[in-house]
Amino acid sequence: MNKRLFFGVLLVIYVLLIIPFVNLQKNRPIEVKLGYLPHAQVLKVISGEHRSSVAGMLVMRVLFYFGSILQKFQDNVIVSPEFLNMYRTIRSIVALDPYNMDSYYFAQSVFTWDLGRVQEVNALLEQGAKYRTWDPYIPFYLGFNYSYFLKDYTKAAEYMQSAAELSGNPLYAQLAARYFYESEQAALGLAFLETMINNARDKTVRRNYELRRDALLATLAIERARDAYRERYGAMPIDLEQLLNFGLLSAAPDDPYGGSFYLDERGRVRTTSELIQHESMSDENGNAYGD
Amino acid sequence: MFDQFIILTKCHLQGILRDRVLYGVLGVSVFMILMIPSMSSFSMRQVQELSITLSLSVISGTLLVTTLLLGASSVWRDIERRYLHSILTLPISRATFLVSKFCSILLFLTLSTMVLGMGCAVAIKLASSSYPSDIPIHWGNILLTIGGDLFKYMLLTAFSLLLSSLSTSFYLPFFGTLVIYFCGSASQEVYEYVTGEFGSGMSLMAISAVKGAYYLLPNFAAFDFHVHAVYGLPVSLTGLSLTMLYTLVYTGILLLLAVVNFERRELP
Repeated sequence: MNKRLFFGVLLVIYVLLIIPFVNLQKNRPIEVKLGYLPHAQVLKVISGEHRSSVAGMLVMRVLFYFGSILQKFQDNVIVSPEFLNMYRTIRSIVALDPYNMDSYYFAQSVFTWDLGRVQEVNALLEQGAKYRTWDPYIPFYLGFNYSYFLKDYTKAAEYMQSAAELSGNPLYAQLAARYFYESEQAALGLAFLETMINNARDKTVRRNYELRRDALLATLAIERARDAYRERYGAMPIDLEQLLNFGLLSAAPDDPYGGSFYLDERGRVRTTSELIQHESMSDENGNAYGD
Repeated sequence: MFDQFIILTKCHLQGILRDRVLYGVLGVSVFMILMIPSMSSFSMRQVQELSITLSLSVISGTLLVTTLLLGASSVWRDIERRYLHSILTLPISRATFLVSKFCSILLFLTLSTMVLGMGCAVAIKLASSSYPSDIPIHWGNILLTIGGDLFKYMLLTAFSLLLSSLSTSFYLPFFGTLVIYFCGSASQEVYEYVTGEFGSGMSLMAISAVKGAYYLLPNFAAFDFHVHAVYGLPVSLTGLSLTMLYTLVYTGILLLLAVVNFERRELP
């Protein structure tokens, strides 16, 4: 009887405890969700033959973490993501399994567009290209990064040619040809993003690309209206109101990142959100990405 | 003598097959295999590759636990239960007893590998059919990797038998084998690290100690073909033959040491 009573009491306590316990776990700080990772070399030694599995699990952890940030971002809850920690995790994954495509794919989709860490991503990709010698996607990413972000068309053409040769895809050859025309940069960006959206299977990554594409489309619409104004009136418009008043823009495009578009003193299209999820360029100790 | 060996091996194998703990281990592994297709689907660009990676890890992890449980509880328990005393009243040498014990464990490991291997093949096929990869599935390499794992755990079984023949309790063979497993898995990495750029800051004594341990300990990195299986990389046949020969010689040495030690051991 006593045992039954004791069991019943414990069961009631458990039921009372489980809801706050689950809530506590659910509302853990986002930094805790990404967690601490030992040095890549240590991790490599510890994980032994299971290093590819460990790398796979770490990719999932980063993806879930980033997915939760993106979800909060879409719900208008601004959270500053731990980009440095994410980047370090990706570097550890690549050290564990240099063939892991998910890590390169994630780095390309998040660290270039959102953070502008193109040099670091290219270093990762160039390492990946040494291992994934059959894969056209890595030279494709490299080619795009060199042209679109770094304006190094010689290297871009080299990589895109490699991607075209590996895949036999005429799109890559077309893109390589476009690199020589700086004026088509926005169109090139859109072509790249459309390719990535079509190939993206993961919802988080696809949503990230879609946000970027929508932002680029909005920027492109304003740029076209601005250029039309300059051609028509021989001067730069002062603000978006002028473009709206003169009928060059039907409505002020929405910034999918939550900001408002404006024209700066040189007539360049800017937004208050800076089309970026606020990043930390270095950690609290001042350690930068390349460290 | 050979007939005695066969009969003893069969008896030991039947004993192993009656062990419910091992069925528990295999049950957990089968559950993990069932989870592989859904776990792999979280991958963004390499579902098939992740399913192969996880499958190989499940097989290797299961074989490790099985080796530890069977190897660590073999000889000393037979002595403790007085099972060995009754066996040795028959005209059976201690060497025959020990080698038959080793062979029965190896047979069970092979059977488990085959069952898990088939389960994993189905899981890989399921995962890859949902999201086909650019890389074809290299079944030959997967088979080779599983075979490599089996060879590795054969060597580890010999280690656990050696420790078990020395010990009077569960702890030394269990934790000793576990330590050997971790050291053997890390030895190549540590050796390369120490003999590389990092080693320039170390004392000559420390480097010599690491090198000594590297040559003495089993090198499990040689059996690791996981990356070859996942990404379909070519495998060197010369390296493979050398690794097989290395395993056979190393296992032979360990078994011989275990037999010599067991023959000298005084039974209570």
